[in-house]
Amino acid sequence: MALSGFEGFEKRLELHFSGDDPVTEGIGLRQIDMESLEEVLDAVQCTVVSAVGNRYFDAYVLSESSLFVYPTKIIIKTCGTTQLLKSIPPLLSHARDMGLGLCGCRYTRGNFIFPKAQPYPHTSFREEVMYLEQSLPNNLCYRKACVMPSKVSSHSWHVYSASDERHMVLENMSNVFTIEVCMTELDRVLARKFYRRPGDANSGDVAGKEMTELTGIGNINSHALVCDFAFDPCGYSMNGIDGPQYSTIHVTPEDGFSYASFECVGFTDDHDDIGEVLKKVVQVFRPAMMSVSTTCVSQDVWTCVAKTLEPLGLNCRSSMIDEFPAAGNVVFQTFTTRRK
Amino acid sequence: MAEEGQVISCHTVEAWNEQLQKGNESKKLVVVDFTASWCGPCRFMAPILAELAKKLPNVIFLKVDVDELKTVATDWAVEAMPTFMFLKEGKIVDKIVGARKEELQQKITAHMVA
Repeated sequence: MALSGFEGFEKRLELHFSGDDPVTEGIGLRQIDMESLEEVLDAVQCTVVSAVGNRYFDAYVLSESSLFVYPTKIIIKTCGTTQLLKSIPPLLSHARDMGLGLCGCRYTRGNFIFPKAQPYPHTSFREEVMYLEQSLPNNLCYRKACVMPSKVSSHSWHVYSASDERHMVLENMSNVFTIEVCMTELDRVLARKFYRRPGDANSGDVAGKEMTELTGIGNINSHALVCDFAFDPCGYSMNGIDGPQYSTIHVTPEDGFSYASFECVGFTDDHDDIGEVLKKVVQVFRPAMMSVSTTCVSQDVWTCVAKTLEPLGLNCRSSMIDEFPAAGNVVFQTFTTRRK
Repeated sequence: MAEEGQVISCHTVEAWNEQLQKGNESKKLVVVDFTASWCGPCRFMAPILAELAKKLPNVIFLKVDVDELKTVATDWAVEAMPTFMFLKEGKIVDKIVGARKEELQQKITAHMVA
């Protein structure tokens, strides 16, 4: 392994808000002006490279991963040495200006490849939890932090969640599920497809679109509108938007610390095709190791994961379940192509 | 034309049809920005489009709010914002969905000379 390289593993923050005014909730956080959004991203240390919106939400591709803004929900995911948690104070302040208060928070991440390169407050999970505890308002009285281990030492899942009383009850009826996939040791030939062609004069937008087609990412969900970007000399990010649902992929293809992530949100009453989606994702990257985390109130989404991956030569090495406030059940599974 | 160098907002279907007609007759490249007030990425692109309009008086820039002109947005099958349609003599020659500023500049340049 390289001594130091680009940290592919993302940190992911999901914030839920509520307000008294239904009109505000209708557009809500999507009203945040560009300067305020840039101020938040400055605190994290990243910028917007591409964006698109539909009736339901706005999706931004960032220089370091992605941002999704719904009327009362924000999901921000950043890789590298960004200081993601520093987005919390300015986000809470802008939401307050719109009459919205925080009612739920979820922070998740995998295991950093280069933990020593991480700046404060990401120097350790303990430090991150302390920062979260200090930044969140007191009404979020249900809180839990946990590291879910696996038999594959390089993969473990860090989860923090917090909720207020009302959000707890509402979330228990939620039919939304989230799948977060982290893949390492990508197939070398496939990873090369995420390098820009030498002498390519195309913009990052155009080169990104080319990669979406060449790699098969465009076929993962043919209904989705894809907003993609290719970085120079390598690396790729995309957001797929499909009604109220999104999917997102980020790739760091460098040999020695190659990494790709896939994430999607969907609804439990309509998850039949999730196996098909996961299969296509695996075929794009052919990782030697992957972890799949599913977050959902009901328990049936995660069962299709191993059923889908094992026929593709990925053996389930560990499986863990834990319950978190307002998140429901988090199931963390790891897979490798090796026998033992 | 008074509007040269500016992004022309079409607030009624009549105004839209009139601008479109003018654009077709001029044989210039027409770039239509389908936007919405509640769409963050649209706000991101607004200053960039204004700058391009100032720089490129030979291109006609039109702006349509999808809530204001719902029928136009439906007819043109606009589902995500911002959507940029490139027109020449009434024909759609290209389309960009999303706030892709580099691609927008590249495509405008390409279609201006084509």
